Parts: sequence; structure tokens; C-alpha cells
Amino acid sequence: MPATADLEFLSVPREPSTGDTGRAASLISETEHRFRVHTAAYTKAEVLELEQQHIFRRAWCYVGHESELTKAGDFKTGHIGDQPILVTRSEDGGIHVMLNRCPHRGAVLCREPGGNRRALICPYHAWTFAIDGRLVSVTGRDDASGYSEFFEAPEGLYRVPRIETYRGFVFATLDAKAPALLDSLGRAKILIDRKLNQSPNGTLTIRSKPYVGIYEGNWKFHAENIIDGYHFMYTHQSFVKLQNKFGDTTGDFGVHKGGSASEMKKIRTRGSVWGCEGGHILNQKPAIDTQEMLSGPFAEYYQSIEKLYGAEEFQWIFGSNAGCIFPNFGMIHNQIRTWRPIAPDKTEVRIYLYDLDGAPPAFNEGMLRSQERFYGPSGHGMPDDIEIFAANQQGLSASQLEWLILERGMAAEKPLGDGDIEGLPSSETGHRAFWRAWRRSLSSGSGQ
Amino acid sequence: MSTRTSVDIREIEAFLYREARLLDELQLAEWLSLFTPDGIYWIPIDETQDIATHAALVYDDAARREERVYHLQHLSFPAQSPASRTMHVVSNVERLAPEAGSSDILVRSVQTIWELRAGDFTQIGLGKIRPLVGTVRHELEQTDDGLRIRRKTVLLIDRDMPQANLTFII
Ligand code: FES
Ligand SMILES: [Fe+2]
Repeated sequence: MPATADLEFLSVPREPSTGDTGRAASLISETEHRFRVHTAAYTKAEVLELEQQHIFRRAWCYVGHESELTKAGDFKTGHIGDQPILVTRSEDGGIHVMLNRCPHRGAVLCREPGGNRRALICPYHAWTFAIDGRLVSVTGRDDASGYSEFFEAPEGLYRVPRIETYRGFVFATLDAKAPALLDSLGRAKILIDRKLNQSPNGTLTIRSKPYVGIYEGNWKFHAENIIDGYHFMYTHQSFVKLQNKFGDTTGDFGVHKGGSASEMKKIRTRGSVWGCEGGHILNQKPAIDTQEMLSGPFAEYYQSIEKLYGAEEFQWIFGSNAGCIFPNFGMIHNQIRTWRPIAPDKTEVRIYLYDLDGAPPAFNEGMLRSQERFYGPSGHGMPDDIEIFAANQQGLSASQLEWLILERGMAAEKPLGDGDIEGLPSSETGHRAFWRAWRRSLSSGSGQ
Repeated sequence: MSTRTSVDIREIEAFLYREARLLDELQLAEWLSLFTPDGIYWIPIDETQDIATHAALVYDDAARREERVYHLQHLSFPAQSPASRTMHVVSNVERLAPEAGSSDILVRSVQTIWELRAGDFTQIGLGKIRPLVGTVRHELEQTDDGLRIRRKTVLLIDRDMPQANLTFII
């Protein structure tokens, strides 16, 4: 018989403006020409608590890629919001997502980030679970001091109720009633498709350990920034200068195009941004140099992709596609990105670089070195973004000024259908879509 | 050739101290000159994996080292505004047997690098001293100009853990 505990008395006393789900909506001020977000949305512990309940416990969250779990017994640890999880591969090839917690008296089961186990044995009283989570043995069960015939043994580890895999990407949600993954992705699915269609096999493999950073700023700064077309020429001004000076001699591998700052800016303001109803954002620009691709050193590879998808789609596949899948998954260049809140002012970011299966090894290596040069903790780009997230959080401590301004490009938007909106590349169209989904989740309490 | 075996441990130590001083005093052009033209500056995440297929924290050949130094010396960027001050403490210097087939002088040291970004110390991320700890392997070559680095490998003890801002030279 399932018991229900009354936890009401444990609730944190809340400030009226941020405490109630119904009132979270007031943290966004929106009219036809105005879109502002309140400082408290980035700074208050009560807001993060609501986000954990109404966003992270309801949304589809990316939990890993199949290439990280190739053999039976492989596992990795992770999080869905604030819930520590285990992702495992069983003998029948199935993928399982469970809480990293023993149902007996709470010990954590795996203390490594990943590895391979025949079974999961609790370090405390050695209850044993199969790699798929089933409880297979309870030590001393029949002892005189053991369990009676009325013992309601748990079936196994707490299983995250829904798991769906799309082209190797494993998503899970704690909400049994969530809509299907692809319904939730909507138009944003094209981000994953175009990234994978760069591979002749349509698949990717993660080999490197991720770059992991923990920054002292709110998680939503990262969600906004991964698709922010506005900041690049300013935050990364020194990188633009490096690029102008060193070109491709230091391993950019043609990722950042344009020989001068003005040329670079021109290239970067092509394409468009999609702000989707579900809070997903895409920033996409078609490739400008398809002829060079198709006749250059990797011509054979590029031609094989052009043959598969046609010339028109080819320029989008090899254009610049960056995206944020609400709430905490993103892709940019050859990387998978996840981020998770630890506190209102503390966030973990992981960058998983990947190889395109079937692409020439020299191509994958070139992309790898290019990503390393910009995105690693010693890189010439990402550390500036991380610094800005902390600078933002620092700035918000001046809370007498209440609102942040997210109004770029409001006058230059057009509907795409299904509530999705298209805006200009350096607009804040995507940011607004993210925040509207955020508001809907928090104020209705019914997820996406 | 007997030059390599004739190198004294004192000379090796002096070379490591000099490198540490050049980094701490931001004499970075001179630091660049300590490497052989084919020299590599490497800070792996996982040194057991093939560099061709695995990302590192730093994997710099001569061109990338030059770019890194240019970035630090001539450009202003958020991650180094304010700039890092460092103090390299070098200890446990040992000469190890070179790897089979290598004529390099292999030196292992233990280094603690203290780093501080000063500025308005009331702000997030500023005014706190933080340590980086690891072993450093120098593969050195004796040249006409003295010892030169063919490979510097920094094995941070937390190399596969979250990393904060590492936009200075370690
Ligand atoms: S807590 Fe796991 S067996 Fe007791
Ligand atoms: Fe950026």
C-alpha cells in the first residue's frame, strides 16, 4: 500500500512574488513591444525550487548517448534536474534510467562517473540489483532477524518512468504523463537530424571525456547564451582578432569563417533564429562555402552527404546550427552540451565532443582540435562566456534595478506555425520563446 | 654522444626554475623560446588515450603556443580581465629513465601553481587564491643553446574533474 507523507510543514517560507506557481508569471513583463525578465528569476532559491518541481521533473531531459553505453553492463551516472541517476545497458540491449539510490536505506550505488558492472551491489548491506535495476537478492533475507513473509520488497531501483531514444540520443522524464519525445521536440528535431546527417552513417560516437565546468551563475544564462547570436562579436572580440591574425594556421579547421571582423559579422548575420513553442531555440545559417567543401580535401566525404540529401539541404547540414532544447540540452558545432543548476548561482556545464561515424578520421581530428581551441577551459572562447555568466550573476546582486531587457528583434518576427516564431539571427527571439515556456511551466504547473 | 648523460640535475633544476619564473613574470616570448620547434605543450584530460581521437585541456604545437602567448600579451578578453597572477612552486625534481628509443632527458617534477585574479575582491571569482596541483613531465633535449623542451606534459591531479578558468599558462 503506497503511503503518502504530509510534507507541507517542511516547505520553505516563500516570498509572495516568487513563491506561488501562479505568481511566477509576474517575473516576466511582456507587452507587444516589451519583454523583460525580473532579476529574481535568476537569483532566488525559491525560483530554483519551482524550476526543479515544474520544469526538471516534467521535461524530457537528455541523459546520455548510446555510444557511451556500448556493452551489456555499461553504466554512467548523471542527473535529471536535482535527481542523481544511473543510465545502464542490459544484456538484451535495453537502456535503463534509474535513481542512483538504494531503495533499502538510501546508499548511493555508483560512485564512479561510468564503467561496467555485472550487477549493482549496494555498498551498505549488499542488496544486489541486476544491471536493469531488478532487485535480485536481499542479504540475510531469511535470517531470524530478517524479513517476514509479509515483506513488500521493492521490485528494484526507482525507475525513471519514461525513456525514449532518438537516433542514439537518450532522453528521460520523471513525468509519466509527458507527451511523446518527438511531440515535445516539435520543429526543433531538425537540430539533431542535421547534426547527425553530417555523418555518412547518420550516427555519432562520443570518445573524449567531457569538458566540465562549474560556474558561479544561473543555469538560464547558459541556455540563453548557447544560441545568442548577439554576443559573439563583442564577448569574443579577442577571438575574432586571433582568427583574423592566425586564420586556419592554429587549427580552426574552417569553423569560424571570414577573414576580417566585418566579413565575419556579415557571415554571422545570415540565416535565422527559431523560437519554438516548447521553449526550444535554433540558430541556423546556411554554409557559404559549399563549392570549396565539395572540391576540397574532404570532397569525397562531402559529396557523399550531398548525394544523400541534395544540394539545398546540404548547405543547411553543413551550415552553422546551434540549438537549445528546453530546458538543458544543446548542440553546437561537433558537441553535445548539457547544463544543470546546482544552486541559483551555481551551474555545471558539460561539453561532449563527438566524432561523426564514417567521416574521414582527419576530418574528425580537425574538428576535435578546433573545438579544443575554443571551448576547453584553456580555450580562446568558452572561458569568456563562463566569465560573463559569473559577471551577470555579480551584476544582478545590484537588485534595486529589477528588470533585464530581452527585446531585440521583436518587430522583425514572423510566425512559423504551431506557435513557433522565426526571428533574425542576432535577435532575442529564441530567448523569449525559452522564457515563455519557462513561464508556462511554472505558472500552470503542468510542464511543457 | 655523451652530452645528454653529462647534464647535471642542478642544471635541470635551474632550467625548471627559470621556466617557472618566466611564466610567473609573464616573460612569455622567452618562454616560447624554451621549446624545440617541434615541441608540444600538453595538458591531457586522459593521458592514456590517443590524442588524435581524444580532446585535451591543452594540446599546443608551436603555432598554438604562439597564438596563446599573443592572446595573453596583446589582447584583452573577459576571462583574463583582470589577469591571473601565478606562482609556480617546483619540487621533487627527478630524472627518470627515458622511454625506449628516446634520446630525450626525461624529468619529473611536482608542481603547485597558485593562481589569483585580483581586481575588485568583493566580486564573484576575484580575490581568491586557488591551487593547481600536478606532476609535470619535461622531455628535454640538449641543444647548442642549452636545454630545450621537446614535450611538457602537465598531469593535474584533477584533470578529469571539473575545471575552472585555465586561460593562463600552466
Ligand atoms: S542501504 Fe543499500 S542495502 Fe542497505
Ligand atoms: Fe560565446
